[in-house]
Amino acid sequence: MEILNQLLHGFATAGTPINLLWCLLGCTIGTAVGVLPGIGPATAVAMLLPITLKVDPTASMIFFAGIYYGAMYGGSTTSILLNTPGESGSMVTAMEGNKMAKAGRAGAALATSAIGSFVAGTIATVLVTFCAPIVAQYAIKLGPPEYFMLMVLAFCTVSAVLGKSTLRGLTALFIGLAMGLVGIDQISGQARYTAGVPELLDGLEVVLIAVGLFAVSEALYNVLYEGKTVETENPMSKVHMTKEEWKRSWPAWLRATAIGFPFGTIPAGGSEIPTFLSYATEKKLSKHPEEFGTKGAIEGVAGPEAANNAAITATLIPLLTLGIPTSNTTAILLGAFQNYGIQPGPQLFDKNSGLVWALIASLYIGNVMLLILNLPLVGMWVKLLKIPKSYLYAGILIFATVGVYGMRQSAFDLVLLYAIGLIGVVMRRFDFPTAPVVVGMILGPLAEAQMRNALSIGEGKWGVFVERPGSLSLLIVVVAVLVLPRLMKVVRARRA
Amino acid sequence: MKLPSQTLVGVGTLATGALFAAGALTIKSEAGYSGVGPNFLPWVVGIALLACGAFLVYEARSGGYREMEAPSGADVGHWRGFAWVSAGILANAALITTVGFILSCALCFVLAVRGFKSAEDRLDLSPRAWLTDAAIGFAIAAPVYWMFTQLLAINLPGLTSTGWL
Repeated sequence: MEILNQLLHGFATAGTPINLLWCLLGCTIGTAVGVLPGIGPATAVAMLLPITLKVDPTASMIFFAGIYYGAMYGGSTTSILLNTPGESGSMVTAMEGNKMAKAGRAGAALATSAIGSFVAGTIATVLVTFCAPIVAQYAIKLGPPEYFMLMVLAFCTVSAVLGKSTLRGLTALFIGLAMGLVGIDQISGQARYTAGVPELLDGLEVVLIAVGLFAVSEALYNVLYEGKTVETENPMSKVHMTKEEWKRSWPAWLRATAIGFPFGTIPAGGSEIPTFLSYATEKKLSKHPEEFGTKGAIEGVAGPEAANNAAITATLIPLLTLGIPTSNTTAILLGAFQNYGIQPGPQLFDKNSGLVWALIASLYIGNVMLLILNLPLVGMWVKLLKIPKSYLYAGILIFATVGVYGMRQSAFDLVLLYAIGLIGVVMRRFDFPTAPVVVGMILGPLAEAQMRNALSIGEGKWGVFVERPGSLSLLIVVVAVLVLPRLMKVVRARRA
Repeated sequence: MKLPSQTLVGVGTLATGALFAAGALTIKSEAGYSGVGPNFLPWVVGIALLACGAFLVYEARSGGYREMEAPSGADVGHWRGFAWVSAGILANAALITTVGFILSCALCFVLAVRGFKSAEDRLDLSPRAWLTDAAIGFAIAAPVYWMFTQLLAINLPGLTSTGWL
C-alpha cells in the first residue's frame, strides 16, 4: 500500500501541466532522434544536459526519461522502413521488419512494434514500481566492498562479455577509466592529470565525451566513409493489424517481456542479448516458421521489439537503486543526476523519493503518449527520413555545439570535442565498442572511491573483499561471468 | 583494413598507457588507512593500457585484430569532405566567442554541408548554394539560441548583448 501511495504522489507531481509538457517534449524529441539515423538517445540526452543548469531536477529527469523511451519507439520505425540497421537493439527487428515491409506489410510491422513496445514498457514499469523499492531495501545493507564488486561486475559485463573482442572491450574500458581520472581526486583532493590547465580540474565533462564520441564521430565517419552509401526506403502501408496478426503478436509480446526484463535488471546492460533470445524463441515456437526470413513473420518483429523495451525499462532498476549504469544512455542519465548533486543509490528512495516516484509515474504517462505519437502520427515521423543526409549531420553539429558550449562556456571544449570525435572515428573503424568508455568514465571515479573506502574498512588489507560473504559471492559471479563463456567455447570446440 | 593502421592503433594505445603511467609517477601516494592512495588507480590504468596496447600490436602483427567486423562504408576515406567538415567544426571553435553562437554555427553548418555534398559527389560551390545553406543554418541555429538564452536563461555567446543575435 505504501508503494501505491507513493506512486499516487508521483502521479500528482508528474501530472502537473508543466511536467506533462516536459514529458511530451521528451517523448517527441526522443521519437525524432530514434527515427533519425546518426543520432540516438545517448547523444540527445548528452546534448541537452546543459538544461540541468536551470531546469529543476524532477522536470529534467522526466524529460530525459521521455527521450530515452521515445528513441526506442522511433528506432523501430527506421529499422522497419530503411534497409540499414540503426540502433543495436532494433537490429533484430530490422531482420523480419524489413522483410514484412518489402512484402507490403510495413503498417502491420509498425503497429505490432509500437503496441508491443507499449505492452512491454507498461508491464516492465509495473515491475519496476514494485521491485525497485525492494531492491533498494536490500541495497542499503551493502557496504563499500560489495558496491565495488558490483561495479567491477558492471565493468566486466559491459567490456568483456557483451562485445565481440575482450581485448578491444577492455582497451575501451581503460580509456574510459583514464578519462575519469582527470581532475581532482575525490578522497585526497589531489589534482591528477590536469597538466596545469585550470579547465581540467573539474574533470572532463560527460557531455563532451558523449557528444564527441557519438555525434561528432558519427558525422566525421559519415563524411569519410559513407558518402556513397545509398539508403533505400520501403513503401509505407496502412498501420493496421488483422485479427490473425493480433493473435500472433500477443503471446510474443508477453514472452518477450519475460525475457527482456531480467536482462535489464542485472548489471549486464545492453538489449542485444534479450532481443536475439526473443527472436530465437519466437522462431522456434512459431506455427509459421516458413515466414521467417522470407516474407517476414510478425512474431519476429513483435517479440524483439517488446524485449527491447522491457530491458530498457528494467535498466532503471540498477540505475536508481544501486547507482550503476549499464548502458550508454543510463550512464549519461547518471551524469545528469550528478549535475544536481544527487547520487542515485538506495538512499535515493528516501532522500529524493518525490523525484523517483514522479519519474516512475512519468514512465506510465510517457508510454501512453508514445503510443499515440507513434501509431496515428507515424506518417509524420516517416517524413523525417526524407531530410538529406548533408543537412541532417550538419544540423547535428550545431546541436553538438549547444550541448558542449552551453555546459561550460569554453571554446577550448569545442576543440577537445573535435579531438574526441577523431578518437571515435578510429574506434568505429576498428570495431572498438563505445559503451565501456562512457560507463568507465562515469562509473570509474565512483568505483575508485568505493574501493578505497572498502580498503579503509579492511585496514588496508585486500582480504576485505573475500572475507565478507556479500562481496565474496559477487566476486565469484564476476569470475564466473569472465570464465564461463570461454570455458563453454572450449568445450564446444572440443566436442565438434 | 590494412595491418599497418591496426598496428598504429595499438601503438597509440601503448603511448596513452605510457603517458598515464608517467603521470602516475608524479602523483603523491598518501595512502591513509586504506593502504592505497590517489596514485593507485592511475598505475592500474597505465599498466592495463600498456598491456592492451601490446596485445593489440601483437594481434595486428599476427594476422589482424581477432573477431573483427568489417567496417561499414567505403574502403578509402573521402578526405576532402572530411577537411570541409573539420574546417567547419574548428572555425566554430575559433569564432564562437567573437561573432556569436548563431553566425558561427551557421558558418559551421555551411562548411559541413559542403563536406557532405562533396562526399556524395554533389559539391556545389555556386554563390546561390552558399546562400541557401547559410539561410538554413541560420534558421536552425537562431531558434536553438533563442530557446536557450531566452527560455532557459543559459548563457551562449552572442554578437551583440541583446540575447537575440
